[in-house]
Amino acid sequence: MNKDSSKILVVEDLVKYYGAGENLVRAVDHTNLEIERGKFTAVVGRSGSGKSTLLHLIGGLDRPDEGKVWIEGKDIFALKDERLAEFRRKKIGFVFQDFNLIPSLNVWENIVLPLGLGGRKVKREDVEEVLEKIGLMDKKETMPNALSGGQKQRTAIARALVTRPAIILADEPTGNLDSQTELEVMSLLKSCVADMGQTLVMITHDEMIAQMADRMVEIEDGKVVNY
Amino acid sequence: MKMTTRVAYDNMKYYKSRNILTGIAIILTTMLLLVIPTVGRGMVDLQFAATNKVYPSWHALYRGVDEETVRKLAAHHDVAKYGLRSDAGYMSLGEARAAMMFVDQPGMELYRLELSEGRLPEREDEIVVSAGILKELGQPGGIGDTVTVPCQIFRNGELDLTEEKEFQICGLMEDSDSSRKERVYTALVSEAFLKKEIPAEEISYRFLFQILDEEKVTTLDIEDMIREIAKQFQIPENDININTEYLAANYVDPVMIPAIVVIMLIIVLAGVITIYSIYYVSMNQRIQEFGRLKAIGATKRQIRQIVLREGLWVAAAAIPAGLLTGTLVSKVVVLLFVRVNEDRGGFMEVVGQVARSGEVSFYYWWAYVLAVAVTLCTVYLSLLSPMHKAAKVSEVEAMRGQEMGKKTRSSRKGYEFITIGRLTCRNLMDHKKKSAVTILAMAVTGVFLMVVATVLSCADPGESADSSLVGQYEISPVIEENNREHPERKWTEIQKDNPLNEALKQQIEGLPGVERVDAFTSIRVTGDLFMEGDFTAINGIPEEYAKELEKGIVEGKVTYEELKSGDKIILEQAMQHWYPQLDVGSKLKLVVHDGDRKFEKDVEIAAIGNYRSGLVNYDYFIMAKEAADRLSEYHSESYFHVIADQDYDQTLFESLEQIVKESGRLQMRTWKEEYDTWSMGMAMTSGAAYAFLGILALISVMNLINTMINSVHVRKKELGMMQAIGMSDSQLMKMLRMEGLFYTAGTLLISVGLGSLAGYPVFLYAKATKIFEINSYHYPAKAAVIMAAALLLIQLLLAVGIGKSVQKDSLIERVRFSE
Repeated sequence: MNKDSSKILVVEDLVKYYGAGENLVRAVDHTNLEIERGKFTAVVGRSGSGKSTLLHLIGGLDRPDEGKVWIEGKDIFALKDERLAEFRRKKIGFVFQDFNLIPSLNVWENIVLPLGLGGRKVKREDVEEVLEKIGLMDKKETMPNALSGGQKQRTAIARALVTRPAIILADEPTGNLDSQTELEVMSLLKSCVADMGQTLVMITHDEMIAQMADRMVEIEDGKVVNY
Repeated sequence: MKMTTRVAYDNMKYYKSRNILTGIAIILTTMLLLVIPTVGRGMVDLQFAATNKVYPSWHALYRGVDEETVRKLAAHHDVAKYGLRSDAGYMSLGEARAAMMFVDQPGMELYRLELSEGRLPEREDEIVVSAGILKELGQPGGIGDTVTVPCQIFRNGELDLTEEKEFQICGLMEDSDSSRKERVYTALVSEAFLKKEIPAEEISYRFLFQILDEEKVTTLDIEDMIREIAKQFQIPENDININTEYLAANYVDPVMIPAIVVIMLIIVLAGVITIYSIYYVSMNQRIQEFGRLKAIGATKRQIRQIVLREGLWVAAAAIPAGLLTGTLVSKVVVLLFVRVNEDRGGFMEVVGQVARSGEVSFYYWWAYVLAVAVTLCTVYLSLLSPMHKAAKVSEVEAMRGQEMGKKTRSSRKGYEFITIGRLTCRNLMDHKKKSAVTILAMAVTGVFLMVVATVLSCADPGESADSSLVGQYEISPVIEENNREHPERKWTEIQKDNPLNEALKQQIEGLPGVERVDAFTSIRVTGDLFMEGDFTAINGIPEEYAKELEKGIVEGKVTYEELKSGDKIILEQAMQHWYPQLDVGSKLKLVVHDGDRKFEKDVEIAAIGNYRSGLVNYDYFIMAKEAADRLSEYHSESYFHVIADQDYDQTLFESLEQIVKESGRLQMRTWKEEYDTWSMGMAMTSGAAYAFLGILALISVMNLINTMINSVHVRKKELGMMQAIGMSDSQLMKMLRMEGLFYTAGTLLISVGLGSLAGYPVFLYAKATKIFEINSYHYPAKAAVIMAAALLLIQLLLAVGIGKSVQKDSLIERVRFSE
């Protein structure tokens, strides 16, 4: 059951192909990766290199054709769908490029949603601490449609942090933001993760952003070529 | 193909699931629009074809017409064809009966009578008989043979004593099945016989005729014309007999058309609401599409055309399917109706034969044209508002992806923590208008269903039987006026020697299972108010029914004690229909006919009441029994109502039947027979009504399906996102179920709430007009429970189906999903 408890994430010979015959796409091709607890890892690569697929597999959003992913020593694909959802809720926080906030919920409700789904009690002070950190305390009753891009992404970051997950997976979180906001959001993300001692795996094709990471992993044709 | 048509066609294919639902709604609407007039007309045609086989073809006959008037009538310009009949008397054949009548050749044709052999009688000693008559006479014979016939001839307006006559058979007629079964036959004699046996001044004819211009007119026109001619010749209303069955079978009944139009309007309403709602709910999802079209230069008119043509493309595909289904359903419904009813025998048997012979086609070109035209109108009406809305979309609004006309709130107080229930609530509140349209569209059918169910549930066969008969058995004397052979059957004679006497009452009360026997009195009266010679009766009701009498009063006030005086009466409400001038406080001078004596009696209408027909037996004046008894020197009991401990008991029935048979002067009706008749009638009516409502409900369920599919489709990405951050499959299903439950609960609340409220006045109307003999209110609990269960089941299945279809896409596909 336990692979290596010193590593928060272990990817072992992971394979994910799409299509068949001439149209076969080797999105992730026998990839191995190990990530240590508390580190900020940037996954870089060209468009279509397979980095997003890898992130989705790590987050348990998709199932691989072969291989395993261990998070905190747990083989996540050994879990049935229902348990995997529960595992995601507790251990993984997601930040997406296009924010993916729920339009009918205000900022506060969006943030506490993962707690509610897990049936966990909301500790008001914890949520307020996160809101303070992301600087949206005065916007907690605001609806997503009234937020700027940066504010939306900060809300999404707060939502990922609130459950205190073991690992945060971010898929180009600044891709839809202007350069000024991009920097603000990255600083915020990095400082929050550092403050809370969490592990961050982030996909980006922006070299400058990648430089902010503790470690950089390069993907090419579905394979890790440099880390 | 024009650009707008092309875009509309592509849209139809692209929005497949929504258009399939619209298509199903159109198919069901078309089907109902075809089935209702086709079945209506098919049944009528079937009945009419059978009527034309069984009923005579005269439009009307005038009774009691003398020779002089016959000559004048024959020359009338509106009379197209006429025949004559005159009744000479009856053969005395024990329990069998054979009328002896003169009918001329045109009369034979108008009666659809045919000789199987020989010719009509000419000489006074010639006769046409049937095999049944010869058998009853016990004298075999053929053409040319002589038979001796014991007969009673009509003289002085009644049947004379039996005398024997010798006839030579000149023709033979077939007996009908019912003739053989009932042992009722017809023999034909000559006019010469008539003139020889009956004094010339006593001979009266029945003048049977058809009127001119029959092709162009309705039944009402013909009836008016018949009455007009009668008026010209001073023929009283009582002597007019209109062949309503034949007229209805061959001319248009003006009442039928509005009934069909009303039913079709209900279908159109259900169709319009459903199709409109389907488009309304899906339209918001498409604002960007219309905005883009506008941005690249599409005019408002073109956008409207695109929406309209998309609807018409769907209609073009759905209408033929609806017509095909409707054709099949119509035929099945008619044949099923015929098969179920054929067991009742008699006329329905002929209807069955006609249906099987294929004489009636059940395919009416006009029904198809009507169904197509009305469906197209329905689709057009449903699309009017979506067309208008699509054309109104502003380019900017569309590009931003805002819902049409929806004001977006920038902030809102929220929940401190989120549960699945609160998440569902948030989503529904966010789409209030859409949710309301869906619920209201379904509730319209629901309310209608509850109203019809109220009437049907009030129509309880047991209660209807209770209403048409007091107690479990009703025994009354056989009354027959104008038969010299049986003078004892005259009411005035019955009064002098009434078989409903104390001894009989005690005999019946002694039978096991009998609780008591209630005797009702009938006193015959005439009055200036009524037509000359028209008898009505005062019904003397025993004290056991005092409470019922007082409870049934709708106007005025009188106690049973006061009714005992004999000066005050209750008027049955139905009488006011014929005599609207009668009211509480009206004073009437009645002439009481008691045995051979007559005397005047002044009464005052103290109250007006509405009573079950079993209690008042269609008599309009009600008095306490002891007061009615005081008006008669004789025994004027008209009914014995037997109150038994069980609704039906075979042993008791047989004992009573034995008493009735032995007496030879009594007849009986039973609660069981009434119950069976009502049960059958109501089963048919309920079956047809619920089948119709079921299809209407199905049309509106399309709306629920669309709303739920649409709600999930639009939120595909949102739902995927929630699952990415930890919503499990079971939580997703729970959320979808709760959304569906909200629609179900809303629909049920309005349908049951409003339906129950609206049902009550409809019940009161049905009660007042005695539809199905409805008397007491029964809440349609069964219908409400079935509707709730069906809706819950449909909604749960939908939630499962939609949940499964959502899960068909991988989570990552859903997260990436974008319109």
